[in-house]
Amino acid sequence: MKPITKVAASTALALLLLVTAAAAQTVKFTDHKLKNGLRVILSEDHSAPTYSISVTYNAGSRDERDGRTGFAHLFEHMMFQGSENVGKGEHFVLIENNGGGMNGSTTADRTEYHETLPANQLDLGLFLEADRMKSLAITQANLDNQRETVKEEKRQRHDNQPYGQTFDTLFETAYDNFAYKHSTIGSMDDLNAASTKDVTQFFKTYYAPNNAVLVLVGDFKSSDALAKVEKYFGSIPSQPAPPVPDMSEPKQTAERRKTLEDPLAQLTRIDMGWKIPPGNTPDFFAMYVLGEILSTGQSSRFYQTLVRDKQVAVQEGAGPDERRGPSLFIVDLVVTPGKNPQEAEKLVYEELEKVKSGGVTDDELQKVRMEVKRGKVEQLEGTLFRAEQLGVNAVFYGDPNVINTGNDKLMAVTKDQIQKAARTYLTDANRTVLLTVPKTQAGGAK
Amino acid sequence: MKKRTLLALISALLVLGLIGSASAQEDHSADLSKVERKNRAPVSKDILKVTLPRATETTLSNGLTVLILENHRLPMISMQMYINGGGPIYEPADMPGLASVTAQMLREGTKTRNSVQIAEQAALLGAEIGASSNFGSSATVVNISGLSDNFDQWFALATDVVLNPSFPADELSRLKQRMKAQLQQQRANPNFLSTERFNRAVYGSHPAAVVSATNASIDAITPAMLQKWHDERYAPQNSILGIAGDVKAAEIVPKLERAFGGWKKTGLKEVLPENPRPVPSKRVFLVDRPNSVQTTVVLGNIAIDRRDPDYVALSVANHILGGGTTGRLFLNLREEKGYTYGVYSSLTALKYPGPWRAGGDVRTEVTGGAMTEFYKEFQRLRNEPVPAGELDEAKRAIVASFALSLESPAELLGDEIVRKIYGFPPDYWDTYPAKVTAVTADDIQRVARKYLNPDNMQVVAVGDVGKIKSVMEMYGPVEVYDADGKKVGN
Repeated sequence: MKPITKVAASTALALLLLVTAAAAQTVKFTDHKLKNGLRVILSEDHSAPTYSISVTYNAGSRDERDGRTGFAHLFEHMMFQGSENVGKGEHFVLIENNGGGMNGSTTADRTEYHETLPANQLDLGLFLEADRMKSLAITQANLDNQRETVKEEKRQRHDNQPYGQTFDTLFETAYDNFAYKHSTIGSMDDLNAASTKDVTQFFKTYYAPNNAVLVLVGDFKSSDALAKVEKYFGSIPSQPAPPVPDMSEPKQTAERRKTLEDPLAQLTRIDMGWKIPPGNTPDFFAMYVLGEILSTGQSSRFYQTLVRDKQVAVQEGAGPDERRGPSLFIVDLVVTPGKNPQEAEKLVYEELEKVKSGGVTDDELQKVRMEVKRGKVEQLEGTLFRAEQLGVNAVFYGDPNVINTGNDKLMAVTKDQIQKAARTYLTDANRTVLLTVPKTQAGGAK
Repeated sequence: MKKRTLLALISALLVLGLIGSASAQEDHSADLSKVERKNRAPVSKDILKVTLPRATETTLSNGLTVLILENHRLPMISMQMYINGGGPIYEPADMPGLASVTAQMLREGTKTRNSVQIAEQAALLGAEIGASSNFGSSATVVNISGLSDNFDQWFALATDVVLNPSFPADELSRLKQRMKAQLQQQRANPNFLSTERFNRAVYGSHPAAVVSATNASIDAITPAMLQKWHDERYAPQNSILGIAGDVKAAEIVPKLERAFGGWKKTGLKEVLPENPRPVPSKRVFLVDRPNSVQTTVVLGNIAIDRRDPDYVALSVANHILGGGTTGRLFLNLREEKGYTYGVYSSLTALKYPGPWRAGGDVRTEVTGGAMTEFYKEFQRLRNEPVPAGELDEAKRAIVASFALSLESPAELLGDEIVRKIYGFPPDYWDTYPAKVTAVTADDIQRVARKYLNPDNMQVVAVGDVGKIKSVMEMYGPVEVYDADGKKVGN
């Protein structure tokens, strides 16, 4: 067939977007609150005989104190070790043996637990989440055992992998406030120091119904589901609201720069971070769109310039790390063997200058809008993604509907907004640069 | 919003380290069990009856098999093309990477579009077009997807990419540079090093022993070789195109006939290499990676192909041993001993026999203890009948997980393609639950004895050899390699 020219394709697409805008995909849900403060969000979807349950607690590593780093995540592991009516290890067994899947995760800003199960096991998922919220089994043996597992996790994912320390070092350098400055996995010393008293206190403070959001997405009748939620969770007492951590960051006035020697790395890697506003703000959305333009797909600016044309990088990425407090816009690249890292870094700055002086193009915006449009459709496929997003948006912004409005706001970002945001945040003084360089030891790994 | 999620993952997310969706086992035996059963949770005893959709099947005039799973819920279409006979197991021995480079170069230029135009147009159309050819595979797989409202546009782009690649020399030289950097990077990765050594150990001279290109093969590849591979190996009569989503079979088939009209049938038949056989005696391969704080252990040997009558029983056995967080290995080495973040086992059964393997990363100091537990679990599966409850639950887990697959048209399509690749009958997936349910404790023990044999176990350990060699010597004669893959001692 005849090659489509760039202009022709984008004009056709602009029309297409107008035509289909009316049929835009949205996630519909209802929002409830139990007497004990538990927020309950229900989203019926009868397209498959399944459902997902997600419980997001307003607790993350930002809530930790100095000397107890890694605690929120260590605690997450404790949540699978049994409760009043669920034995140790039984949670895994009950979910997996009934065809389901589960996991939990911890970030700086929240902790989340979820299960996906066949629709006929609605009671099971609710019972398991309620029982551990109500009556977690906190024993020395469980704590000691999970501490070892977490230390292995740290070894496997951080200490035994190339670039395993890179992100933690970047955050530690870029942030001043302890909340985001310290790593979520924590230090070995702090993990060793954690006591059952700490666990008990943390559980009581943060794992209360009034500090959590429960989301159900899938094949159920909302009225039935709500009655079941009330049955399993209604009697769990609420607790005093936990302290709100201080997230403030002083304005950064000069570039920060660090070099990390990594005995397991083979190639030099450069990570750069600029502080930007929290998620769900106009400037955050503008920076998100800029990240897409810089690095998503083979037609992106970084791929075309750094990887394909100048060949200074073999991998590149750019985008904001969404946080409730000050986020970071991160650019990372792995430098091509034999190329000068300084040259690669300079080329990144040149690309960013082009955005600041010349802005982005209509086609580039169009590509992002197409990606967002596609993403809106894809988020309706499985139940788990929607459950997690509804919960996170409720905990972060008090507004589960950000699952829909966030997409609309991304669609509405303009060229001017992007240029202005780039000029505001991508400055030398606001930048943190981390070089991770291979360290060759005598007799060590290359 | 995909990228935002991705960045959250790389920067801050710490997960429990649970894998996959469905896998199951529980442990009733008194000595090892760390599962405490209170049996108070409300469980529906019914296994949800699900009806898996059946694909519409047709063959185009050029011999291309087409499977269509209509699903009009969302305005999306996903396609997977299996180009059987175009996978790395058919590469010349001195040209590892030829199939993979051909696949990666499809997007880098056609007779009428250059690399940048392809990238621009795909992005503007919101379409994803990717091709890969994984080592050990007999196929190259092309994945294409997009929204249904501009299907004609992105499908035209995708067929151009698949059928008319031009393999431009300048783009090839760029790709080569990136590939060499990747080769260098992967030598830092303990999983790569363990898989490289394990595959060489179990596959021997079979081409699936190869897990990566080499600097020499990358240097040697020319545009003409890629063109020749494409001309000879991308044959419609061996290929399967699966389509899932918002399409009507009656409407799309004529479009496919037109789009693939120029793709002519050839005489190429898939002739598999001679099958790998289990290595007869036990051996230990150590890969030295100083600075390691963990030992990456892999154990196993060649078992069966996908059509083997033992497949279902061995799948259930694998499930019980190490299929997930309720596998015996996980419960013992992670939940009881705290040796590891996770240990699992898996079964690779393709057109040719592949290995059953178990493994995980354990901290250096407990390498010996972990090895003891691995063998203890192998012996237990071989020597003791699986308790009835444990077996029932494993089978139940496999069958019940079909409900979850209904959330994903792509997963259902994958099942249909598997059925077609191996020539299974149309009702294969409908009858699969009954086959799983029929597996007995005797079956489990029989396949465990046949395929999980300590006497011919192949063991690979990547780590600090100075600290682990003495314990590993207990499991067979030892060979030591460096991280570059060179043998450096015994």
